[in-house]
Amino acid sequence: MDIGFIARTIKTAAALGLLIIIFGSYYYGFQASLSVFTGLVWGMVNLYFLEKLIRSALRPDGVDKTTALVVMFIKFPLLYASGYFMVTSEYFDAILLLIGFSVVLLVMVLKAVGRTILKLDNMDMSNRKESLKSV
Amino acid sequence: MDFQTALSFALPIAVSIAAIGSGLGLGKAVGSAMEAMGRQPEAAGKIQTGMIIGAAFIEALTIYALVGLLLLMGKIG
Repeated sequence: MDIGFIARTIKTAAALGLLIIIFGSYYYGFQASLSVFTGLVWGMVNLYFLEKLIRSALRPDGVDKTTALVVMFIKFPLLYASGYFMVTSEYFDAILLLIGFSVVLLVMVLKAVGRTILKLDNMDMSNRKESLKSV
Repeated sequence: MDFQTALSFALPIAVSIAAIGSGLGLGKAVGSAMEAMGRQPEAAGKIQTGMIIGAAFIEALTIYALVGLLLLMGKIG
């Protein structure tokens, strides 16, 4: 999987979130679809900061300490404190929040399965070999 | 032992087990990723992507446990 996979996953999840809030409001009511949408945004923000944290902390050329610390201090309070307030809030349904949170993971799995079925990763590798041969 | 007492014992134990499990899993994943990056620094981007996906799934399981704790905590006392 290439470097842009996570960014594409977040974009797809955002598009899916818009569809969920539009069609979910019509079929299941605004409050239920807002709970799912909020959980999805929670998952997207979590994934975004997780990517930033790993890319800054786990690098072959050493840790980018400033970025890693800033992301860590934003990610963990934001994720867990906001999660606590959302789950304990009476406005949001906790199960629907979790369903929304899981949508990002589902998107990731489906995209990975799609790439495997379509053999996109292998195609990238063969293209790279072809381009190396031509050079 | 009534339901609430059992729950007040079981909840912290359950969340601790979830946290220990995810900590072990994440530690193993990070260790393996660092080892792989040390062997092949040019493949660092792909290794990081795989690592992020694994970490997201591991973290999600911990969050499920945490939400379960928060939901059931309201039933104690």
